[in-house]
Amino acid sequence: MLVSRHARSILSVTSRMLGQTADAEDVAQETFVAAFRSLARFQFDAKFSTWLYRIAVNKCTDALRARRPTVSLDQPADDDTTPAWQPLDDATPEWELEQVELAWELDKGIEALPYIYRESFVLKHIEGLGYDEMSAILGVHRDTLKMRVYKARTLLCRSLAHLRSVRT
Amino acid sequence: MTGSELLVQRFVDQELSAEERVQLLVRLGRDEDLRQRVIALERLSLEASQLPRPVVPEGFVAQVLAQTTAPAPAPAWWNRFAASLWTPHVFEWNLAGAAAAACVALLAVGGVVVGVRSSSTAPNAPPTPVTASVAPLTERVLVRLVVVHPGARTVEAAGDFNGWNPTETPLEQASNGAWTVTIPLEPGRYEYQFVVDGEQWIADPFAVEQNDDGFGSSNAVLDVRPPTGASL
Repeated sequence: MLVSRHARSILSVTSRMLGQTADAEDVAQETFVAAFRSLARFQFDAKFSTWLYRIAVNKCTDALRARRPTVSLDQPADDDTTPAWQPLDDATPEWELEQVELAWELDKGIEALPYIYRESFVLKHIEGLGYDEMSAILGVHRDTLKMRVYKARTLLCRSLAHLRSVRT
Repeated sequence: MTGSELLVQRFVDQELSAEERVQLLVRLGRDEDLRQRVIALERLSLEASQLPRPVVPEGFVAQVLAQTTAPAPAPAWWNRFAASLWTPHVFEWNLAGAAAAACVALLAVGGVVVGVRSSSTAPNAPPTPVTASVAPLTERVLVRLVVVHPGARTVEAAGDFNGWNPTETPLEQASNGAWTVTIPLEPGRYEYQFVVDGEQWIADPFAVEQNDDGFGSSNAVLDVRPPTGASL
């Protein structure tokens, strides 16, 4: 079924766009509900997942605006509720612990990115989308998206280098 | 962005040709800093792709289905608008009020006519991007971007100040094919380009400094100084 097939991807996007807050699940649900209600308007020349991503991104933007009407979307989120993440089946405890630490650091770095850089980075590197599909989702020129991803990578490399040097 | 940086970014995006890969490898053999940068970016890319995905909570699908079967609620603004249509209203008029309403209507029509006249395009001519001027504000600085491009239908500015989103900063057409916009910026260093007709990205050749944008053209660099003694 469509919801089951796409639920993890959409929940992954909403969780990371909204800084892993409790309302990420609500926004993911709203995404599917909105998709069902406007299914008649779906253009079959686009991928269904692209369309869903587009709705999810718009819902995240709305949620952030509603949460902080006076703050620009360029501001990082500072909520700190942690969702349940799924461990890999064949992981050893040490490997799992290291992965959890890495993921925590990286998630913190992603969460601190300005919103427009964060959404580009999440779609590119976590969802693994190409620039053309990202352009269709975000309605932004692919060169602009390349620039945003470049800036996000640079900011993340800088912040992760700092975090890791503090730990070691 | 330097030529090496451009190669690195395109390498991470897996967009390099065979010749460019060789070119990058040669540079990596000579440049330790560049090698470390590639390792950091590749590590970041790998770790991001391996980030765990959240568990879909139990009942998620059922809750979605329950909401999709329920009738869609009408938006609150629509309810208010619909109610206002059917609620009886009493309109009271006097001569002064009617005259004021007529003035407002005339002014609105006049504004539309002036706007339509000023949007007519000048004859085609080679683009002559100009420069920027500043005027101080209390905390931010008003920066005026100007470009001369008589043949353009639209001109927008994209840069660090708007997340490289050209639609956020459209320029308005002035006289003689000039396009202009004034934006408030905090003191700092910004890179930008102009976007003509939604697809042609051009730098400002009159800018004091230019940087390779990493995608085959240049970004103009704008140094916005604090209001006291601001100048470009």
